[in-house]
Amino acid sequence: MSTTVETGGREVPLAMLRDGETGIVVSVKSGYGGAWGLKKRLMDMGITPGTRITVVKSAPFHGPMEILVRGYRLAIGRGMAERIFVRVEETQAGCRES
Amino acid sequence: MNGRRLVIALAGNANVGKSVIFNYLTRLHQHIGNWPGKTVEKAEGTLHFKGYTIDVVDLPGIYSLSTYSIEESISRRFIAVDKPDVVINVIDASVLERNLFFTLQLMELETPMVIALNQMDVASRKGIQIDVEKLEEILGVPVVPTIAVKGVGIFKLLEKAVEIFEGKLSAKPKPVKYGEEVEQRIERIAEAVRDSGLPYPARYVAIKLLEGDREIQEEVEKADPQAAALARRLGEELEKLHGHSCPTLITSERYQAANCIAREVQRLIPPVKPTLGEKLHNVTTHRVAGYLVMAATLLSMFLFVFAVGNILSEFLSSLLYGLKPFFEGFFGTGFLAQLFWGGVVEGLIAGATIALPYVIPFYLVLYFLEDSGYLSRIAFLMDSIMHRMGLHGKAFIPLLLGYGCNVPACLGCRIMETQRERLIAAFVTTLVPCAARTVIILGLVGRFIGIQWALVLYVFDLLIIFLLGRLAFKILPGEPTGLIMEMPDYRLPHLRTVLSQTWFRLLEFLKIAFPLIIVSTLTVKLLEALGMLSFFTSLLAPVTVGWLGLPVETGVTLLFGVLRKELALIMLTTLLGTTDLSQALTPVQMTVFTIVSMFYIPCVATIATLVMEFGWRKALVITVSEVFLALVLGGLALRILVLTGLR
Repeated sequence: MSTTVETGGREVPLAMLRDGETGIVVSVKSGYGGAWGLKKRLMDMGITPGTRITVVKSAPFHGPMEILVRGYRLAIGRGMAERIFVRVEETQAGCRES
Repeated sequence: MNGRRLVIALAGNANVGKSVIFNYLTRLHQHIGNWPGKTVEKAEGTLHFKGYTIDVVDLPGIYSLSTYSIEESISRRFIAVDKPDVVINVIDASVLERNLFFTLQLMELETPMVIALNQMDVASRKGIQIDVEKLEEILGVPVVPTIAVKGVGIFKLLEKAVEIFEGKLSAKPKPVKYGEEVEQRIERIAEAVRDSGLPYPARYVAIKLLEGDREIQEEVEKADPQAAALARRLGEELEKLHGHSCPTLITSERYQAANCIAREVQRLIPPVKPTLGEKLHNVTTHRVAGYLVMAATLLSMFLFVFAVGNILSEFLSSLLYGLKPFFEGFFGTGFLAQLFWGGVVEGLIAGATIALPYVIPFYLVLYFLEDSGYLSRIAFLMDSIMHRMGLHGKAFIPLLLGYGCNVPACLGCRIMETQRERLIAAFVTTLVPCAARTVIILGLVGRFIGIQWALVLYVFDLLIIFLLGRLAFKILPGEPTGLIMEMPDYRLPHLRTVLSQTWFRLLEFLKIAFPLIIVSTLTVKLLEALGMLSFFTSLLAPVTVGWLGLPVETGVTLLFGVLRKELALIMLTTLLGTTDLSQALTPVQMTVFTIVSMFYIPCVATIATLVMEFGWRKALVITVSEVFLALVLGGLALRILVLTGLR
């Protein structure tokens, strides 16, 4: 599958990112059995291919992740974070995120 | 009065200050209810302005106009079908891009609109400057900068809305242009659906078809199967062309447009040092400190609700019961007078002394937590634990409140996103032993058997809650939803909005709960007066005596317990003729009685709340299944305890 963003680096689920790491969304997988309500919801919240996401921190006990996306703070459950595939940015080249 | 009426709808994301604007506009002329048949709150109000009577409808806070949630489809239907004269789109200046994503969808609905660019003060504190005129020019929609908490810009906002209505202000929204390939296909589909008779604009239908919107797809399928087929075919073409699914493509391009607009109109000068809100956020979501702060906050909130509740409750009950001599002086002590006092007046008193005193402080605290933004941090911290029973972090709040009183706890279940989650949360919440049930647990088992056994019962209850939560989660159909939740910047709640939210929701509660409380109190009193209570207890004997091994008198107390749980214990002492219950009941009987009281039925006020939130049928199912559960657990406990040699 081709993507519009060429950044190099590895492609992993967002859940694999460590605190402080940034990735660019490559794709969002739909739920089990093709249920895509949640996928749409994630995209409506701004997590679309090409979007830059920074992981701020994760809650303990395998809890949700706090991420920065499109200039605001979003909490997403682990299960959600497993479905978002990102390409990890090797260099810091932020242009929008503060 | 002149008959010039006008309907304005407030629409926008959650946490943008919509309810503050709503309260500012409508003040005391509000009505809070539910959307017909839905557990979604509908806030309406009226105001008078320049000779108009304006009805204001506050739509639920949403992030998109898809049909992911009930709130989204309610809002969309309202805007497209009920056609408010003007929509005021409230947007948060400090999170412009995501808010514009919603604005662009509203523009696609081709509704007359004005934008309230709110929280300008927050934005400038975050170092964001917005060129309002440029935004206005790009969108083709009037934009009014506002600071709702200070009332800044509200008058102008209203003025613009009226001007739009009167046609004095010609707004020409410039909707999003998608990519060339997408745009061509939108036009072809729009052409095909133009005469299909749907309540939405043709271009909007075309976009939503490509966006994969189920509701619209079904409607078009019914009205014009050929158009639906065309949309499917063109959608597949686009997917081949771009390598992404069509909904992804449309959503991405719309966000892209929002991003471009935001970049063009805002200037960012990020402040050097973190704001107080950011520091607070870091502490309150910290993996250690966060939990400590949460424990302290919840404990003080609990104490506040029950301290205030107890004071109010005692005050009200001494005040209201003090009316009895006057009542008797006036009506005498005849049969009817006694029935009226016992049935109607005491029902009212019960409602006023149990529910009200706790509901008021509860609402105050809840809105305070919600409006400040702290609720979302609690949900963040508790998500993984709550997940084990199929709910996400937000459900922790109602569950905890349940230990005080189930009534506000059930009302608190509204913070869950889907109907299904609300129902599961409410179900497990009613199994939490409230203060009245604590009276029984501590007053019977704790006092006569030992406090450690009372604790064992609490743990047992938690275990049952977890098991049943999981079970309900498995049985009820629907997609399990994970947490997707904005954590807005902390802010000081707007006091007047919190007070007014509390007041109008209280009114709604009174309207639903009181009739039910009075009717059931009256029924029990009538049965008692007619001497039919003993008939019922003998009917219940096979269960109370045969299955549960309890004295026959307990049947009456369990019946009365439906009205007020803490009465069950008081009545037990009256009926058994002793306050030293260890002489009348064996430890096993006490344990069984306590277990049954813990689970067997939510009190009448809780049932009323369930009816209000979920309708008669679901309330009935929950009630009946809990009675059944209590009896099964009680009977099993008896047999197991006897087997272990206890008596």
